[in-house]
Parts: sequence; structure tokens; C-alpha cells
Amino acid sequence: MSRTITFSQALNEAMAEEMRRDPGVFVMGEDVRVSAFGQTAGLVDEFGEERVLNTPIAENAITGAAMGAAMSGLRPVLELMFMDFTMLAMDQLCNNLGQWRYITGGQYTIPLTIRTACGAGMRMGYGHSQCLQSQLIQAPGLMIVEPSTPYDAKGLLKAAIRSDDPVIVVESKKLIFGGVEGEVPEEDYTLPFGEAVVRKEGKDVTVAAVGFMTYEALGAAQALAEEGVDVEVIDLRSIVPMDKETLFASVEKTGRLVTVEEGRIRGGIGAEIAALASGEYFSLLKAPVQRVAAPMVPIAGSPALEDLYLPNKDTIVRAVRRTL
Amino acid sequence: MNGQNDILEALYRRMILVRFMEETHDRLLKEGKIQLMGHFGTGQEAVAVGVTGPLRQEDILFGTHRGVGEFIGKGMAPKDIWLEYMGKKDSPCHGKGGLHLCDRERNIPGLVATLGSDFSIAVGTALASKMKGTDQVTLYFVGEGTCNQADAHPSMCMAALWKLPIVFSVCTNQFCELSYMCDHYPTGDVAPRAAAYDIPFEIVDGQDIEKTYEATRKAVEHARGGNGPYLVEYKTYRMATHFSGDPGTYVNRDELEEWGRRDPIVLCREMLLERGILSEEEDRKLRDGIQAEVDEAVEAAFAAPDPGIEDLFKDVYSGEGVIQ
Ligand SMILES: Cc1ncc(C[n+]2csc(CCOP(=O)(O)OP(=O)(O)O)c2C)c(N)n1
Repeated sequence: MSRTITFSQALNEAMAEEMRRDPGVFVMGEDVRVSAFGQTAGLVDEFGEERVLNTPIAENAITGAAMGAAMSGLRPVLELMFMDFTMLAMDQLCNNLGQWRYITGGQYTIPLTIRTACGAGMRMGYGHSQCLQSQLIQAPGLMIVEPSTPYDAKGLLKAAIRSDDPVIVVESKKLIFGGVEGEVPEEDYTLPFGEAVVRKEGKDVTVAAVGFMTYEALGAAQALAEEGVDVEVIDLRSIVPMDKETLFASVEKTGRLVTVEEGRIRGGIGAEIAALASGEYFSLLKAPVQRVAAPMVPIAGSPALEDLYLPNKDTIVRAVRRTL
Repeated sequence: MNGQNDILEALYRRMILVRFMEETHDRLLKEGKIQLMGHFGTGQEAVAVGVTGPLRQEDILFGTHRGVGEFIGKGMAPKDIWLEYMGKKDSPCHGKGGLHLCDRERNIPGLVATLGSDFSIAVGTALASKMKGTDQVTLYFVGEGTCNQADAHPSMCMAALWKLPIVFSVCTNQFCELSYMCDHYPTGDVAPRAAAYDIPFEIVDGQDIEKTYEATRKAVEHARGGNGPYLVEYKTYRMATHFSGDPGTYVNRDELEEWGRRDPIVLCREMLLERGILSEEEDRKLRDGIQAEVDEAVEAAFAAPDPGIEDLFKDVYSGEGVIQ
């Protein structure tokens, strides 16, 4: 049986169910008991303060503490409230978290899940709006996933909590605050990492999108359909590992590739995909790969400037046209 | 130490083993036989061995880059240390650790490269012990220079806030890399910082093995008894330079000589002779035996195989596949 719930409820259910299933699972982070955005709201009532642990405001140190607990066999779910704040924990994230297993020769695993909210459009200004996924893809040993639907959010978060590897689950604020709803089964399920999903089939151009940008890509596909352009929209879901097979199969069909992410363009996820495409299936491409991403500027406080900064349906439509 | 001659003798033995291990490392470097640089803890053996003396096998130790003292103290085998230092396949970390010793069997979860990252990781292992209801203690061994890392503060804060079973052992060896402590601290002591978090602390003579052992034993007992963290600062002197390639031009020679007269191994030896616990003859035999043990471990490590290409991609993730 499935029912319709919000993105935030899906995340909340995933944590509650995993905490019920495994006494080693616990939630920690800044104000997770009250929960600023609601994803962990109410957990404290069922599981108590010990398993829903409010922490001091010290991102690198609470990430380290969560790592230590994970090394000792627990399965913490750490919230780093805004993705901008993950930059304060870069030492742990990029120097230690993903490398510990390797450097210890597999003696220690770190089954840690880190949830963090990204994205602009909320008028929150420069240090509360960024998408910094590409800052993390250089770190070996991390998994990075970004769901765009309640179904994916629940399945991927549950898989992250059960994974023996450290996983970063990126949650778009537009999906949390926008109250995005979707069908989610009542039964237990998980989703595998590294599997993209084709949200709309098409034969002319492949658009590979990350997270919330999938919706903008679908909007662009609809607009382009009126012009007779048949766009295939891929929702990547997993940034590391990347589903190269689904991408390849799509480009094999279309010969045209556009990448879409909300993060900035330089050294972004799109750059990685473009390099992959030109290195591995250059001969399939009928046109240069186009990247849709944010420009290399900070996010201004002005709503007018913020809207100009963000990639959207229209910028995607223009990028698709450039491949034709 | 309440007449516990056996303990004292065991500690003395370990101090000599530490000294001989490091002297051997220095010699092998000078002979060009190994490549890993050494950061020797000559003169600090009574601290490293004294703080680990009261620990049980199940207690968790975070050590430092400075020599092998605390690792030997926690029971790591000389052979495993050489295998790791030489990057051999059968080392505890399968050649991945290098300087970064780790030994799961003895609850040594690893040694960070970025100083102070493990302050909070140690808080995390202590948190896990408390949540799991074990009576393990985490001992966080750290240099005074590293205590200026920002994470020292939230780590002490969390440890006190959550009343965790952790002992912070600060080894004040007067140097912070290539400069004196007075270039790093406006105060002479580190320990009073603990008072800011209501953590009890003590400052002890780091040259006297009875004092380092006893102060740590009390601190460990305090932590194991559910009374929260404890901090001990040990005053000692780094008689070696910062690392094997450092000529130590900045070292005050008179001061070095003065501290050299309080060499902890010499002090302990005199005490053992005076109390009739050890004879000159037994001491000579003991030393010969220890050097033979070190030499044998070195030989075995030289003869051991290197890791190969099959190890390069192993243990990045828990699964079998390679993620690029
Ligand atoms: C984050 C970081 N900064 C700097 C260094 C370089 N470094 C290595 S050892 C050392 C000195 C540390 O001093 P202290 O903590 O007192 O330990 P000691 O070397 O005296 O044993 C420094 C600065 C490092 N490894 N990591």
C-alpha cells in the first residue's frame, strides 16, 4: 500500500523506521530535537533525548564525534543544517571521513550518514543557499546522493543508514519547504546507490539533472516538445557513484547531452559528466556537451538577483537548443 | 604505586623498547634503508608509557605522530609497527597506514594526519561507549601545540556536557614543531583550559614514570566510574628534534643538557636499582633482549612482501566494485 506524503515526511519516516529497526541508529545535530526545517521533528518523542542528540554549534567537531561513534559500531545520522555549513567540516569530510577505511586497511568502517540541505530561492542570502556538491566529489570514499522525490528520499536515506560507507544525503530546500508530495509505499524498501532514473523518455537530446533541477528539466522538456524536440530527462539521484550506464545508453540514442545542476559551473558535476562523455563516447556526440549551472558569483540578497543567478527551465531550453 | 614492583618493571621495559625502536628507526634512516621519516619522542617515554599503562585492552587510544611510545604502551607489536612503517602488505593496515598506526585488536582506531582532527573523533568513541553501556575509556593523547586547534574546545565541551568516559592527556614537551611553546601560548600551562568546561585537571612531572602512571590511573578510574572527562598535563621535554631531517638549530643547548640529566629511563633505572627491584646484571640482560626483539622485528619486516596493484583499489569502499 502506498500513500502520498511530503519530501520531509519521507525523510522523517526513513529515520524513524531505521531507529526502530536498529538500536545502533541515532540522530545528532544542531537542534535536531525541535528541528529547524522539520525533517527530524517528533523523533525525540518516540526515541528520547539520548538517541536524538542536540549538539553544540561546531560543525567540524560534531562531524568528528559522529565519525568516532560510527567507528565504534553505531550508525549515527548527522545533520549539518545548511550545505554551506559543511564547509566548516571540510577537514573531517575530505581528509578523514572517506579515507579512514582505506588508511586503516579496512580495520575500521565508518557507517555514518550525513544529511544536509542545499539550494537557493528561499531569499536566505549568500551563506545559506549554496549547492556545494561538487566540493565533495573529489573526496575518495564518500557516497553522495541527492533525491528529488519523497519515494527516492526515503529509499536512499534508508539505504544510506544501512550502508557501511559514509554517505552524504543532499536535501534540496525547495523540496523541503515547497512541500513536494509523492507516493511512498508503507512497506520497507531501500534504493541502491548509483542508479539514475529516466523521468521522461525522449529521442533527441539527453538532459542529465541533479536533485530539484530535475523538475526544471521536465518543464524545459515540456516546452521543447511544443517545438517538436523530444527530450529525455535523467534524474541522476546518485552523484557518487554516478550511473554511467544509464547516461551512456541515453546518449547512444540521442547523441546530445545537456547537464543541469544548481551548483556553480566551474569544476562542477556537469564538468565531470562532460569530461566523461568526451573521454568515453566522444564519437557518439553530434554536438558539444552543454552545461547548465549557476554562474561563478555569490548569491545576492536581492530576490531579483537571486532569480537571475539560478538555473531554470528557460536556461535549460536555451542550452538544449544550442545542441540542435 | 603501592609497591607494585611488577608494574614498574613492566613500564621500565616498555620505555626501553620505545627508545630502542626509535633509535633503530633513526639508524635505518641514516643508513638509507627505510624511507619513512621519524618524529622521535626521545625523553618523553615516561609520558607515553605512563599514560597507556593503566589502560585495558578494550580501552580506546588515540595517539600522536611523535614516536611509538603510546602505541607500544597499548600493546602494539614491534613487528606490526615496522611492517606499517615499511608499507608492507601484511601490516595491520595492509600497507596503507605508514606513519598512521592503527590496530583494531588493541583498540587503536588510527592516527590522523591533520593535527587535532581526532580531538572530536575521540569524543565520538567515548560517546559510543556511553551509549552502548560499556565501561571502556577513551584516552586522547595529544601534544600541547595541537591543543590550539579550534576543535579542542567543542570537543572538551561535548565531553563535559555529555559526561563522557574520556581522558585528555596533554604531553607538553616544550616544542610545537620548530618553535618553543612560548611562541604558541600566552600561558605556561594548557591544563587550566579544562576548567572552562568544568573538567577536573592535574599537572604532573612527565619525567617520573610513577607520577605519570598514577595520575593517569586516577583519571582513567574517574572516567570509568561515570564521572565524566578528566585532563592531565605532563611536563616533559622533546630531546629529539621535530623530525629526522630537522637539525634543530633553534634548540637551546643548555636547556637540552639540563633536561637530559632527567632522562626518564635513567631516572627509572636508578630507582629500580636503588629499591633492589633490578640488578645491573638483569638490566644489561633486559636491554640485550629488547634490542634483539627489535632487530628481529626489523628483519621480519624487511623480508615481508610489498602490497601490489590488487591492493591499490581495495578498501576505499566496503563493497567489491571500484568507484571512480
Ligand atoms: C593541521 C596540521 N597543521 C600542522 C601540521 C604540521 N605539524 C606536524 S607536527 C606539528 C607540531 C605539533 O606540536 P605538538 O602538538 O606540540 O606535538 P609535538 O610535535 O611537540 O609532539 C606540526 C605543526 C599538521 N600535521 N597538521
